[in-house]
Amino acid sequence: MSGAVALSLAASLEPGSVTGTHLLGRELALWRDADGAPHVWEDRCPHRGMRMSLGFVRGSAIACLYHGWRYRADGRCEHIPAHPDLAVPDTIRVPVFPVVEAAGIIWTAAEGDLVLPGLPAGPVTAVRSVTVDRGEDDLWAAVAALPAPDGSPVAIEAAGDRVRLLTLGGDRLIAALQPVETGRSALHLVLVGEDAAPERLERLAGWAVALRASAEGGEAR
Amino acid sequence: MRLYDNELDEDGYRVRLMLAMAGLSCERIAVDQGAGGSPVGPVSGPVDAVPTLEDGRRRIAGAPSALLHVAAIAGAPWLPDGPAGERVARWLDFAADALAPARKARRDALFGLGARPADVAAARQAFRRLDDWLTVAGYAGEGFVAGPSPTVADVALLPSFALSRDYGLEHDEFPAARRWFRRLRALSGFIAMPGIPDYH
Repeated sequence: MSGAVALSLAASLEPGSVTGTHLLGRELALWRDADGAPHVWEDRCPHRGMRMSLGFVRGSAIACLYHGWRYRADGRCEHIPAHPDLAVPDTIRVPVFPVVEAAGIIWTAAEGDLVLPGLPAGPVTAVRSVTVDRGEDDLWAAVAALPAPDGSPVAIEAAGDRVRLLTLGGDRLIAALQPVETGRSALHLVLVGEDAAPERLERLAGWAVALRASAEGGEAR
Repeated sequence: MRLYDNELDEDGYRVRLMLAMAGLSCERIAVDQGAGGSPVGPVSGPVDAVPTLEDGRRRIAGAPSALLHVAAIAGAPWLPDGPAGERVARWLDFAADALAPARKARRDALFGLGARPADVAAARQAFRRLDDWLTVAGYAGEGFVAGPSPTVADVALLPSFALSRDYGLEHDEFPAARRWFRRLRALSGFIAMPGIPDYH
């Protein structure tokens, strides 16, 4: 596998916040600094193995909840509160993954370079993310089988390894799949276009909830 | 007012949080609890439920009643009437019923023999419903379960969601609930408990 993998809707990650997520079973910390730049890190403090996703963001750095070890955006430890005068060795760092924010989605690469798929240009509107207890193939099969909110069949166009463009009635969506772990996937959905009325987004969110129910109701492969 | 509770008890925290959000203070009396949550051992004053709120001569037992009592003192923004009040009632119901497995899972994980998978699964389904609701509310710019401002219903719901990691249920798949939790943490009056930080 290569190319970009979605981890979150951009709108779900506020400046100055951090959350945990998983990619192919690997624990990741996803955080956004105070200036708005997203970061994808291994979810592990090199000190005692505490999850960085339970830490806190301060300015352009993130600190571990346990002992306050503070790391800057490149993953290097810059401050150890118990040894405030110590010049922290260069080797203390958290593994950092590539990250790009595009089309309302935060992307990383499972391995190799981060190559974005061809996506519709112009503004987008966040719909929602939905996590489903099914693997990738089952989830895509459920997408293909579920009619649009207006009852019409969904039209699907491949855009990348794990990215498809869906036409649901009059709406065009980017659907980016995150392989969370074996038997679990998340689908991140954004609407192409802006100024969508709340009712329109609510219909699409309802479709995503129905997708979760129908995928989980079907047999797992 | 006087509150008989336990620092680690989720329901006690519900009442402490409501008091703090409303800017009210109380005297706290620590009560030991058994694995099932009932008071054990010698306590200062006989209470048969944790938490129990004492207001003058009145004793209000259990989080649901105590929450309503405090919210009524706090007034309209926390306990609205009209359509928002109906939503508050619905979510208080949800906190009492649908979140019962979440409370049980945490109690079993921390003070018993471990959470039952069925309770963890039921808790996860409940958080999905909360997250689904908050997702749609967000489209209309409403950041809390009953509308644009926080109510007693948010206070009733928050502790179960916030403490789910005590039995291994992460917040990854609930982005709308996660942002709601952060929004509540940022309110003045928010207080921490073990497992719930007050930083945001």
